[in-house]
Amino acid sequence: MSTLTSDLTQELETAHTHPSPRPSRRGRRRIRSRLGKAAMYVALSVLLIVVLLPFIWMLSSSFKHDNQVLTVPIQWVPETFVWSNYAQIWNKIPLAGYLGNSALLAIVITFLQVLTGSFAAYGFSKVKFPGRDALFLAYVATIAVPWQAYMIPQYVMMQHAGLTNTFTALILLQAFGAFGVFLMRQYYMTIPDDLNEAARIDGLNDYGIWARIILPLSKPALASLALLTFVNTWNDYMGPFIYLSSNNLWTVQIGLRSFIGQYSAQYAMIMTGSVISIIPIFIIFLSGQRYFISGIATSGMKG
Amino acid sequence: MTTLTQRASVTRRPTSRSLRRRRILVGWSFILPNFLGFALFTLIPVIAAFVLAFMHWDAYNPPTWAGIDNFVRLVGDSNFHVAFTNTVLYALGHVPLTLALSLGLALLLNQKLKGIAFFRVAIFFPYITSLVAIAIVWNMLFDPINGPINQFLHMIGIANAPGWTASTGWALPAVIITSVWRDMGYYMVLFLAGLQAIPSEYYEAAEVDGAGRWQKFWNVTLPSLRPTTFLVLVLLSVSSFKVFDLIFVMTQGGPGRATLVLSQLIYQDGILNGQFGYSSAISLVLFLIVLVVTVFQFKIQQRRER
Amino acid sequence: MRMKRTLVAAAGMAATALVLAGCAGSPSDGGSASNGKTTLSISVWNYKQTPEFKALFDAFEKANPNITIQPVDILAANYEDKVTTMLAGGDTTDIITVKNLTDYAGYAQKKQFVNVEGLVKQLPADKIPALTSYAVDGAQYAVPYRQDFAMLFYNKTMFKNAGVAEPTNLTWDEFASDAQKLTSGSGSDKVYGAYIHTWNSLVQAYPAAQKSNAKWDTGDYGWMKDQYKLVLGMQKAGTIMDWGTASSQQTSYQTMFETGKAAMVPMGSWLIAPLLADKKAGTNDIDWGIAPVPQLKSGTKITSIGGPTGFGINKNSKHQDAAKKFLTFAAGEQGADAVASIGIVPAYHSDAITTKYFALDGMPQDDLSKKAFNPDVIKPDGPTGPNAAAIGNILNQEHQLIMTGSKSVDDGIAEMESRVKSEVLHQ
Repeated sequence: MSTLTSDLTQELETAHTHPSPRPSRRGRRRIRSRLGKAAMYVALSVLLIVVLLPFIWMLSSSFKHDNQVLTVPIQWVPETFVWSNYAQIWNKIPLAGYLGNSALLAIVITFLQVLTGSFAAYGFSKVKFPGRDALFLAYVATIAVPWQAYMIPQYVMMQHAGLTNTFTALILLQAFGAFGVFLMRQYYMTIPDDLNEAARIDGLNDYGIWARIILPLSKPALASLALLTFVNTWNDYMGPFIYLSSNNLWTVQIGLRSFIGQYSAQYAMIMTGSVISIIPIFIIFLSGQRYFISGIATSGMKG
Repeated sequence: MTTLTQRASVTRRPTSRSLRRRRILVGWSFILPNFLGFALFTLIPVIAAFVLAFMHWDAYNPPTWAGIDNFVRLVGDSNFHVAFTNTVLYALGHVPLTLALSLGLALLLNQKLKGIAFFRVAIFFPYITSLVAIAIVWNMLFDPINGPINQFLHMIGIANAPGWTASTGWALPAVIITSVWRDMGYYMVLFLAGLQAIPSEYYEAAEVDGAGRWQKFWNVTLPSLRPTTFLVLVLLSVSSFKVFDLIFVMTQGGPGRATLVLSQLIYQDGILNGQFGYSSAISLVLFLIVLVVTVFQFKIQQRRER
Repeated sequence: MRMKRTLVAAAGMAATALVLAGCAGSPSDGGSASNGKTTLSISVWNYKQTPEFKALFDAFEKANPNITIQPVDILAANYEDKVTTMLAGGDTTDIITVKNLTDYAGYAQKKQFVNVEGLVKQLPADKIPALTSYAVDGAQYAVPYRQDFAMLFYNKTMFKNAGVAEPTNLTWDEFASDAQKLTSGSGSDKVYGAYIHTWNSLVQAYPAAQKSNAKWDTGDYGWMKDQYKLVLGMQKAGTIMDWGTASSQQTSYQTMFETGKAAMVPMGSWLIAPLLADKKAGTNDIDWGIAPVPQLKSGTKITSIGGPTGFGINKNSKHQDAAKKFLTFAAGEQGADAVASIGIVPAYHSDAITTKYFALDGMPQDDLSKKAFNPDVIKPDGPTGPNAAAIGNILNQEHQLIMTGSKSVDDGIAEMESRVKSEVLHQ
């Protein structure tokens, strides 16, 4: 391994544990900043209520009877707490199986999206070749076409390939989206090109630069891409609905909507299921967000 | 002398050509794994949909050639005019507001505070809360008579508070507010990632120059965030132009056609009325609008970088 | 160098392939014959939550031991989206359940179903009034198994307490004045005399059915005017919930009725089954009954609105004979017997079926309720025919504008007329 890359990794590691020291010119600012912090907590707490209100209603509704959910005026605290909703839902629909299917799809799609997306993004941001920008624009522009418009041609294609009613169809459709390419490309653009040049002089080829320098440097972007892809796949409903017919392949979102009947809906069950389906996202977010800490990234060019 | 230069030019040309070829090869080798999947499963169906824009098709019987019939119809279709205007207005409201708020939140939550993880998750929660719950609670907040929003407006002395989702004039603003609220956490995550890419040396250098908070924001943070801002701007524009779910759950495009947007029209004409040629024509127009907007944003970004 | 690069690329591809291969589900194939048995696949919605399908299929399998039924479970919420997509892809599901007449118009226009005219001729037409709803230009692409229609659900206790006579043979004007007497309280204690749900059919379809000159598809809608005035008047008087509130709060008519917030609810017969179920579960303890829907004039025949649910045979079906057997079964007495036993109103009418239906646990037993169960005429609750979806959409949009007061009744109706004429009829 070259000295430069080992320097880089070392520097990255130290950056992890010892964030680069801030200048010490702020002694008298300390009191002000403490007051500022207190104010910030107050502001954040107010924000919290506004942001969480619908979630609180969702939680409260998950403890109600169906005919108590859609009342006018709105009811924040259930008259009687129906705890049994959380026990019943597992019998009413095979929720455990649905959760497993959603998890499998979300993990595989996220993995492929992050892998191919970050790989392609390197080509779009760090390698200069003719037609690159036009191709990139084509990628981005197709995001603009609403799915309803090409849903049927896509389905007909998959039907001919014999892939409908399989996870493979969904994975193929969603793992190679333009979103990941776009996100990673933009992040790579923030990383100075000097780094590439230095690494190249050090004898690394492009693949090496991607694997050993760019990838470790882009942990926050990888985390956000993984997080958002996971959430979008987890919450996707129309895709799995159109492609998966067998009940044993269904995902959580399909399962939740099975409580909406032709004429009436079991809203308490829908809310119970929604609360349960948020938990995995909550955990993923908590574990992913720790990559959003200032001071990870250093250009590696100093001193 | 002449032979030498001749030889040099002879040798140089192939090298530059082969270098170019190598660049192309290397570039494509990076892009290919993703591109193969993208081209097969997204690009081809999209192109097929665009071809259908020039046909009559009911999604079952063989399509028949329509030429520009669908586009002619589009020009005179009042549904298209209404949906087009609503979509543009929606984008004009949704894009800048979400951009500003998500950036503000990212800056606010990009600090080392105790419990910051909790706040970050909370801001993200609207994006993962069930749409049904969002629609019901926000409609309750917007209730013209008993809703807290209008009660507050009355309190500060506004006599003619808007009718929000129950009125044709204010339904779109109500939908915009709700969607900004829902999306800000999503784009905050992108900004948070972008903020991590700014080398701390930049800030240190600015501090050495005696820059204050605002100056650091204007001179370091914003310029360094430009690629992320471009990303968010494009994604936001794109998602605004094809907005569907939230509006469908909140107002179903109503009252009347007050919140009817292009995606809903595409769905209605295509799936429900069985006129896929016509709905594809609308999609093609939508695509062209977004393409123009994106190219415009792309050019601006490139110019700034220079 | 080049070696390494290829290796990396190859490894990447291999990993991708491996992951893909590992996740492939097994494609299910539609009904195939094994040991002399035929398997019929039938598209249904929310199989587990909609017991009528299982009841029907079980009864059919019992009567036809050599045919097995395999339900293709689709969500009710986006049923037509998926069926449209499936059929576009050449799906071979044998039988498609037809949710409503609007969807039927689409299938019929595209000719996606087998013409079952011959089969229909052998059915007792006099006992299946909904049968004619599926007739299109001398062809018939589906048969009904279920026929829902509107009735007036009322809260007996509230009527007694307010001293209002039971709603026998109401006219719409009497309905409005009864609602006035039954309204009480304010704020969160408000109790409405009636609840009219947000659907446009609940205003528009009654005059369409009960006036002789009303037509959905000619682009003239003056006949809606009186009914709009009546309903808007009730809304202004506060005897029904404001449309804007009901719409934005996604108010549930079932909740309004079961929690005693409204004394009268004109609603489809599909509400019976959940009311019975909730009573059984103990979450609904109101004393309720059903009455015929109000009429425009007193002393006339009882004309209600409603629509059938039915089955059609996919043109791509490979088991058309077995499928026809099923259609005959479902539309006839045996099918009716099966669905009536779980609180669904069948398309096939007979005294025996009515008796069976009223024997259900928790059904009101008074004569008025039995009368309400057998209206004289049932007419469609919305436009039918090839333009059904497009016309229905316009009528719904303008309905919202009239109900929110964004447009006057006259302006709203004028707009309906001009839009239907220009956008749909291309006049």
